[in-house]
Amino acid sequence: MSDVLVQISNAVIEGRLKDIPDLTNTALSSGLTAKEILDKGLMPGMDVVGVEFKKGKKFVPEVLLSARTMQASLGILKPLLEQTGEKMTGKVVIGTVKGDLHDIGKSLVGMLLEGSGFEVVDLGKDVAPETFIDAVKKEKPNIVAMSALLTTTMRSMGHTITVLKEAGLRETVKIMVGGAPVTMDFAKQIGADGYAANAPAAVELAKQFISSN
Amino acid sequence: MPLYFLACRVLQSIMEPYLQDVSIPVTFMEYGLHRTPQLMTPALQEELDRITEPAVVIIGYGLCGNGLAGLMAGRHTLIIPRVDDCITLLLGSYQRYITEFTAEPGTYYLTKGWLESGSHPLKEYRQLLEKYDKETADWIIDEQYRNYKRVVLVAPKQEELDAYRQQAREVADFCAERWGYRYEEFIGSDDYVKKLVTIAFRLAESSEDFLVIPPGGEVKQEMFWR
Repeated sequence: MSDVLVQISNAVIEGRLKDIPDLTNTALSSGLTAKEILDKGLMPGMDVVGVEFKKGKKFVPEVLLSARTMQASLGILKPLLEQTGEKMTGKVVIGTVKGDLHDIGKSLVGMLLEGSGFEVVDLGKDVAPETFIDAVKKEKPNIVAMSALLTTTMRSMGHTITVLKEAGLRETVKIMVGGAPVTMDFAKQIGADGYAANAPAAVELAKQFISSN
Repeated sequence: MPLYFLACRVLQSIMEPYLQDVSIPVTFMEYGLHRTPQLMTPALQEELDRITEPAVVIIGYGLCGNGLAGLMAGRHTLIIPRVDDCITLLLGSYQRYITEFTAEPGTYYLTKGWLESGSHPLKEYRQLLEKYDKETADWIIDEQYRNYKRVVLVAPKQEELDAYRQQAREVADFCAERWGYRYEEFIGSDDYVKKLVTIAFRLAESSEDFLVIPPGGEVKQEMFWR
């Protein structure tokens, strides 16, 4: 793999915000496409961050700095991705569920989905089931993505799915869930279609949903 | 069967008054294990496994971000409060917690245990300033805490509120200036902890407030749902 992509991954892993604009521009001038930089530089870096965070080797401040570093690179890449990147022809409605005000992870997933060509409608935090329903009706997304950081609020994901069923909308969307306390088992129990352990994994899952349609 | 206590340090001061007359072995674990739930489970497992004779082990933890999920009872019987975290224990009941949570989800709780041995936004900000430049420290602390709306000091008695008000206000003033939090004080209750320490060991099966994990059993996330 190209050296500069490794350097970009490392800059993300170490949260070196100052270095990332130059590295991103160097990668672009070496002939790499914005999509290659995202998929082979930023995403693998963020993936390592996600894994190390779960293992307790990185803490929230470090993860935040990594996200900020990635965001700075995406800021440079975004206009190019819009011009040349593949269109996923997928639309995602995303939000942190009711009662939960933690939006760092959710925003990170939204940002990466957008970078990967998805159209993203971000409902923000503390999103009531009814708000998800209204958004599904209005936006007609392919995917609904829900996030929760607390064991207290994760159960609201199940409520939201129930309400979607009652509204007759459940089968119109794929549902993915994530957030610190969420597990694959929990996702199955509440009837979600998938679970992702970190932001790059969420993008992979969304891509699978679209390509399996 | 012998009794043991295995609890988080943040509960030490509220548990101790009920531990005085008994000669039961107690282990208080360092605070903040919940921040890395995947390390918390093995840390607690190690302590449990260290108890060689079959025992009833009273666990002074809630689900704590899944830090308890996957814990194996082994040869022991585990008694666990059916709560998401220590805030319910300090408020005294699940009902009170839900009432307060519904009233204001964006609440940052401070307690004696957390002020003495835990962490809070001001302490974290000071630590960030040691490690990063001011702009970076500001950005990190804002990202984490800007969505909360209030700081609540909770204590089981008025005297404890009085004793910790000054420390709590210092944190609250920092949060108010930065993010516009309001400051409140709650008198909680030691009812839940008292029951945990003094009578929960008699339970033969799980109840509304306590889980009983029999020998060979495993703690699961969904057991905590009410």
